[in-house]
Amino acid sequence: MLPFTYALRNLFRDPSRLAQTVGGSAVVVLLLIAAVALNQGMDTVLSASGSPQNVILVGKGSEESIERSEVEISAESAAATSISGIESKLGVLAVSGEIAYQAPITTASGVEEQALLRGVLEKSLLVHTTVSLLEGHFPGPGEAMVGHLAHRKIGVDKDDLAVGKSLKFGDTEVKISGRFAAPGTVLESEIWFDRNDLASLTQRGSLSSITIRLAEDGSGSIDDVELFTFQRNDLELSAIREDHYYDKLSVFYKPIKIMTWVTAALVAAGAVFGGLNTLYAAFAARIKEMATLQSIGYTRVALFVSLIQESLLATLTGTLLAFILAYFLLDGRTVPFSIGTFTLTLTPTVLFSGLVAGILLGTIGTLPPAIRCLLPSLPKALRSS
Amino acid sequence: MNPLISIKSVTKSFTKGTTTITPLENLSLDVPRGEFLSLMGPSGSGKTTLLNLIAGIDTPTSGEILIDGNDIAKLSRAQLTRWRAEHVGYIFQLYHLVPILSAYENVELPLLLGNLGKSERKKKILSALDLVGLGDRADHRPSELSGGQEQRVAIARAIVHDPELLVADEPTGDLDRESADSILNLLDTLATKHEKTIVMVTHDPKASASAHRALQLEKGQFIEEGHLLTHA
Repeated sequence: MLPFTYALRNLFRDPSRLAQTVGGSAVVVLLLIAAVALNQGMDTVLSASGSPQNVILVGKGSEESIERSEVEISAESAAATSISGIESKLGVLAVSGEIAYQAPITTASGVEEQALLRGVLEKSLLVHTTVSLLEGHFPGPGEAMVGHLAHRKIGVDKDDLAVGKSLKFGDTEVKISGRFAAPGTVLESEIWFDRNDLASLTQRGSLSSITIRLAEDGSGSIDDVELFTFQRNDLELSAIREDHYYDKLSVFYKPIKIMTWVTAALVAAGAVFGGLNTLYAAFAARIKEMATLQSIGYTRVALFVSLIQESLLATLTGTLLAFILAYFLLDGRTVPFSIGTFTLTLTPTVLFSGLVAGILLGTIGTLPPAIRCLLPSLPKALRSS
Repeated sequence: MNPLISIKSVTKSFTKGTTTITPLENLSLDVPRGEFLSLMGPSGSGKTTLLNLIAGIDTPTSGEILIDGNDIAKLSRAQLTRWRAEHVGYIFQLYHLVPILSAYENVELPLLLGNLGKSERKKKILSALDLVGLGDRADHRPSELSGGQEQRVAIARAIVHDPELLVADEPTGDLDRESADSILNLLDTLATKHEKTIVMVTHDPKASASAHRALQLEKGQFIEEGHLLTHA
């Protein structure tokens, strides 16, 4: 085998080629990291948003979108009294009729952007157990409470949605009374209004959904909720487990994920072909040198390994560069999407995917130019210019 | 004494498209140990093809190439590679040094194929560089050496593992007269004092005259046997 230093020094033989290979592989790996982190972030937020203990009642035919759903207000109390096995705290049943609405909101700085609004009563905290107040208080009439990532969804500074500031829904001004967290869920991107306020602001006489939290002792099940929907078919309700609802949303976002992969793959393919072109040129210039080493007694396999080592060094340097860039550019960055916001995280899976991409670029990407460099017969290669 | 090289009825043919070219046909040759043989001839006469066959760089279409009694024509590609590593030193017209390595590291290349320790390798490398008069240039890269010095490094690389056979393809073809003479003297020394068998291809009659024996090739056949020099 040729010494490792031979591969190492060859890297610096042509600094512009080295820069191209390192830069190209860094771009490919960074894109792949971004695509994996994006998909993983979206999946994580959707799976974390739904609890298997919660059941949502929506209007029949609106199982795929709460926002489109209409549920009679009376259904809330009917469900609370008819369904057994509902979680309760201090005698309050965990049944929360809510209004989900997307509408433009004007922030204190005058920015008008589409926001995710939820009309709630205080008992909603009994079903959305991940929600915790970071500051301020639960919204009363004329108030709103903002999720701590709502500013990212709207696209304004965090200070623009600070407690004490105002928001405008149409011509109506509401004061921000509190800020809440709901780690890893879509709720964090929402603005919660007093339910009655939102009903009058949107001129709605109905709810969007009713969320029911089943008792933790297992005394209630979705079957009880479904039985209720059959018994009260006059209410035209469908029951769906909250985690299943978000799973279905995940399927809805599949085309977006595919697009992410396709875009990453197209850019990566461009970079790979560019890299191949560079390697072809670089290795073609060394056909005679490879032939000389063969004439000395080095086998093709030894030379092939050395070429792979050389490429791997370059692509793994690119991978390392991509990791550093990803750390500064991607890690912890929040990405808004239609129903919330998710966070890009450099998890071990994401980094492992990047590492595999770097290794594949250095090996599979090197195969064609390396084979082309080592394939000519020895007498022919020794005569090459 | 048995010759080191014994070529028996060797033919080499190439096929290019539908045409078959035969640069060597039914050629036989014996080269005694320690002989410095020169092969001359016009372009396309088959001299480099013959050199490559002797060096195990290429294989014949038919015939036997016995080197020290072993028919290298029967060896597989991998066996030939191993055989070259042990038995042959190749000297090229354009030196073919690895530009990113120093003179020392270039000379070290054949030794890295063996099992020698670092200190043993160092001893051999410095000895080879001293023999070619470049002991003080060990750390220089090829780009920092003159053409003659590069060829000396290439010779040191060819002899460092102590092969019995040296093949040289136009070793002075790219050098000025002074450097060429110095290289030819070195080759002569290797043959006479170090008992290396040398086969050299050259276009240069003066270079050919430095050899112990000169053979003229034309259209794949020897047409004339030249002088036989005697050396002290």
